Amino acid sequence: MGRRGEPYYVEAAPPVDVNKNTEWFMYPGVWTTYILLLFFAWLLVLSVSGCSPGAAWTVVNLAHFAITYHFFHWKKGTPFAADDQGIYSRLTWWEQIDNGQQLTRNRKFLTVVPVVLYLIASHLTDYKQPMFFLNTMAVFVLVVAKLPNMHKVRIFGINGDI
Amino acid sequence: MVRLPYTTALTTLFSYGLLFAFGQLRDFFRKFVDWFKAKNVKGYAPICLGLEDFYVRRLYLRIQDCFGRPIASAPDSWFDVVERTSNDNNKTLQRTSNTTKCLNLGSYNYLGFAAADEYCTPRVIDSLKKYSASTCSVRVDGGTTKLHTELEELTARFVGKPAAILFGMGYVTNSAIIPCLIGKGGLIISDSLNHNSIVNGARGSGATVRVFQHNSPAHLEEVLREQIAGGQPRTHRPWKKIIVIVEGIYSMEGELCKLPEIIAVCKKYKAYTYLDEAHSIGAVGQSGRGVCELLGVDPADVDIMMGTFTKSFGSCGGYIAASKEIIKHLKHSCPAHLYATSMSPPAVQQVISAIKVILGEDGSSRGAQKLARIRENGNFFRSELKKMGFEVLGDNDSPVMPIMLYNPAKIPAFSRECLRQKVAVVTVAFPATPLLLARARICISASHTREDLMKALDVISRVGDLVGIKYFPAEPPKIAEAGHDKLE
Repeated sequence: MGRRGEPYYVEAAPPVDVNKNTEWFMYPGVWTTYILLLFFAWLLVLSVSGCSPGAAWTVVNLAHFAITYHFFHWKKGTPFAADDQGIYSRLTWWEQIDNGQQLTRNRKFLTVVPVVLYLIASHLTDYKQPMFFLNTMAVFVLVVAKLPNMHKVRIFGINGDI
Repeated sequence: MVRLPYTTALTTLFSYGLLFAFGQLRDFFRKFVDWFKAKNVKGYAPICLGLEDFYVRRLYLRIQDCFGRPIASAPDSWFDVVERTSNDNNKTLQRTSNTTKCLNLGSYNYLGFAAADEYCTPRVIDSLKKYSASTCSVRVDGGTTKLHTELEELTARFVGKPAAILFGMGYVTNSAIIPCLIGKGGLIISDSLNHNSIVNGARGSGATVRVFQHNSPAHLEEVLREQIAGGQPRTHRPWKKIIVIVEGIYSMEGELCKLPEIIAVCKKYKAYTYLDEAHSIGAVGQSGRGVCELLGVDPADVDIMMGTFTKSFGSCGGYIAASKEIIKHLKHSCPAHLYATSMSPPAVQQVISAIKVILGEDGSSRGAQKLARIRENGNFFRSELKKMGFEVLGDNDSPVMPIMLYNPAKIPAFSRECLRQKVAVVTVAFPATPLLLARARICISASHTREDLMKALDVISRVGDLVGIKYFPAEPPKIAEAGHDKLE
């Protein structure tokens, strides 16, 4: 950090990734924003429902599972199709990111986040059922979907070509 | 490469995330509200998937009054902007008959030929009477006049190549030529920020397309080595040919190409070079010959030079300049030459006259004065903006200077407030630029006077304070320096 009162500057280089649906993930601040969103979501759940912190983390974990599974692993194509002639119509966001290259820093980060969320939620709920079961199922599905072996795999044709 | 405060990066991502979330929420409810209106025909696939126009429906329409503003006069240093109204939150816009006279910082009027000119306009009117507005024919049929031949020779001489060929539309110059130069079995290595016409031309060619990091000769060499070692996909045979495509000035960045370094890398690995000078031809260089002149590169070292007449020359169309063999091949195989209407003769005359003014062949020194003025205007404006604390992209001597806005809410705020102060600027946002890097792009013209620039700086400074886009500390004002001098 800079001296007190001075803003901390970061540098942003234009990415090599020309897919506008995934290039935004290459810029500084994305990881921090992601983590801050999860934290603020936890605060929101905590303040609205007044439940225990562990239950709030479970809600955040399950909501994170639902949202990221839908947008990263289910929804195909890109909102900016006019520019790319439909070459991403059959790919999920997870298959588009980093031009399909596996085991990149961004993919590792996105794989670690559900695991950490799972550990926090399970630990704070003292591994009690049924929250432990729900948390385990959520993290299992998310991590399996993110494995390199699952690239472009459609189990039983589920969510196959449009 | 841009520098921005980390908090700005976080708030920008949060803003886009919020807009995206609300857009998805509205789409979600729209499915229920409109389910009974579904007109799905059995057995037919949808023409357009719902996701594909999400950006236009949920993000662009909200601020579309800041884009595509109609004008009602020639785009000179001052012009008339038509006012528009909307009664449905910008979903539709209605033109009024009112206009506002604004200072024009948005047009690519680099040398001031967009308005009437004392040398060019009379000759254009004469050629209009002599040749009519259009040949209504293709170049190989009845569409070639003496003017076309003269302009091809003049263009080749101007850029320093043996031969040149004309096209009636600047975009087509890239999108129709690249498929004629390279095909299956070839490799195209394209800068990541190249124009959409280059992208579509590369896709249409059937060649393998690879992208190197913007203006990075080191990454270009890395990509070249990797692709040459790997060969063609699946068969791994050697590439039939390799073309590296770069631009002279990147219009969204205002940045000059690192041409000497890129040429060195291409020659080392025996790759052809294709230089798109759409913005740089006529605008940079001592005599307006573009980045080759400015950066000290011999035009013989660039294999194919492309440019447009739509910016510095105040006309339309584009050209390709290369060796006689390449031009002959293009004249036999390019659909833009064989099937498209030829360039309008008055438009050709406009370019001929503009080039003669630039070269000084009109008998005066107005061309040299224009070039000196745009260089001086551009460097003055850029240095003043940087002193005020704006993040300004681009290089010195470039007439394009983007001012970074970042947050999506600042795009309409800056644009509307500047228009209210009678300054017309162009704002550029995602997907024309990367998500984080929304900007306002200022284009300087040789027809801007110093008073015009001072007024623009004053307005931009006040609006910048109002909107909050001065991300760096401002330099101390000169009054303090003057006081200091007086004390001494």
